[in-house]
Amino acid sequence: MNLLRTEFRKIMPYRTFWVILATFVVLMVLILYSSSSIQINGKELGAETYQFPGIWARLAYVAHFFNLLLGILVIVLVTDEFSYRTLRQQVIDGLSRLEAVLAKFYIILALAAFSTIFLLVLGLYFGLIYSSNTTVEAIFSEVDHLSYYFVQAVAYMVLAMVFAFLVRKSGLAIIAFIAYTKIIEPLIHFKLPDNIDKYFPMKAFDSLTPMPGQSLLDQITTPTDMLAPEWAVLPSVLFIALYFGLAYLVVKLRDL
Amino acid sequence: MAIVLSIDNLSKKYGSLKAVDQLTLEVEEGSIYGLLGPNGSGKTTTLGMVLDVIRPTSGSFSWFGEGISKATKQRVGAILETPNFYPYLTAKRNLQVAADNKGADHSNIDKMLDLVGLGTRSHTTFKGFSLGMKQRLALAAAMLNDPEVLVLDEPTNGLDPQGIAEVRDLILRIAAQGKTIILASHLLDEVEKVCTHVAVLRTGKLVTNGPVGTILSTKEQLLICADELAPVLQLLERLPYISQFNQEKDYVILTLQEGYTSTDLNRDMFAQGIVLSQLVARRKSLEKQFLEIIKS
Repeated sequence: MNLLRTEFRKIMPYRTFWVILATFVVLMVLILYSSSSIQINGKELGAETYQFPGIWARLAYVAHFFNLLLGILVIVLVTDEFSYRTLRQQVIDGLSRLEAVLAKFYIILALAAFSTIFLLVLGLYFGLIYSSNTTVEAIFSEVDHLSYYFVQAVAYMVLAMVFAFLVRKSGLAIIAFIAYTKIIEPLIHFKLPDNIDKYFPMKAFDSLTPMPGQSLLDQITTPTDMLAPEWAVLPSVLFIALYFGLAYLVVKLRDL
Repeated sequence: MAIVLSIDNLSKKYGSLKAVDQLTLEVEEGSIYGLLGPNGSGKTTTLGMVLDVIRPTSGSFSWFGEGISKATKQRVGAILETPNFYPYLTAKRNLQVAADNKGADHSNIDKMLDLVGLGTRSHTTFKGFSLGMKQRLALAAAMLNDPEVLVLDEPTNGLDPQGIAEVRDLILRIAAQGKTIILASHLLDEVEKVCTHVAVLRTGKLVTNGPVGTILSTKEQLLICADELAPVLQLLERLPYISQFNQEKDYVILTLQEGYTSTDLNRDMFAQGIVLSQLVARRKSLEKQFLEIIKS
């Protein structure tokens, strides 16, 4: 835990960190505010979007778009250590390479915990104001969607960390991260049957926060075969472990 | 004397380039050990390897007789190349981060800032520092946990004359406390002024090493003239303390062995009936010696 305390010492006065985090917070609030006026089939959703318990799944789905932003934040924090040569100094000063990677993993857990708690507060706020059913049971019956979101946020950020340790330059790492998550893997999915590619990292991560009303959509179009959120947790956690190992290997085998 | 750092056949290859080639040396406790060599001779690569940030291609090294570990790292304070700090953090905050990583007592931070003369600038961010201040902050960070060994890589690089003098003075003061200092430098003058031992590197190879006095001897060179040079040359052949002489035009340049001075030569010449018309003692320039060492 000392590692996390030192990480916080570094990022507390760091303006870039707060700007990226504030962007995430402000955009989430804005989207949530405006989501009541989204029209589906010419009918405004209105207070419907804020109804417990469905709000948790909707919140998690909206928040999942911002995982890219959190990933970029992690890339900035890791590549900074290379451009300032501070990773090298930390290892000289006494950290092992494993600890250097662990410190960043702890920050990822802290960031995921922060955004999950932020979603919880956001959900409670909008839900308690607009929801017609505010019994404790209704409020918390599907709050487990937030825990799926937590796993997903960690997974995206750990993948971003791998790119950051591998590429070392922030710009290139961000491009590689977005290219992989949004272009390369979807292209691979395209070539493979659903029953195989549903276990692929990006697809498994995205299965954690399915689009609300996906089942409705599946009735109209050809259904896509996706893992249920609860079944996507295990492969996601395995990928997180794999990515962590990969980041450690990169740091261990290369000169700093 | 205990051996602080022992390097055994250490090599680092970048592709076909041998940055460090089979380097073997030992640093004794309490010495100020200079790693001397021109730019690109492998000094920083060597230090990077023994500081655990560059992976050796082959060979080994040990600190205090054991492999590198958190425990040995905490007994060594080191700066590699440039001062490495977070530009947006204040001097004090940067040292807090360093103290965390070193397991050092945070109460040392203000003391060290005062020691390097940055006590009044502790709340300035690192990016606002001049190069000299950055170097001094790096020294403060290296000394945070009162290490037994200091490793300094070009500590006076880019400093103005006053800054250079301050840093050298600081190094000597630290060494006076009985600490071992390993110093990489391409400045001969610096090594001569500060170090007790020196290893000279060229293209990754160890050229020579030993106490500064024997490697960079400050032997005197004498220039003598006489009306008749022939008897002078004959006598020089026979004098046992002449290590080398050369006739150039109408004068002779010669070097004496350790412990002899121009007085001895003048007396012996006069005793043989030779009167010198000129006798000039000049110090062989260190740069010239250095170039001789790395060329040979």
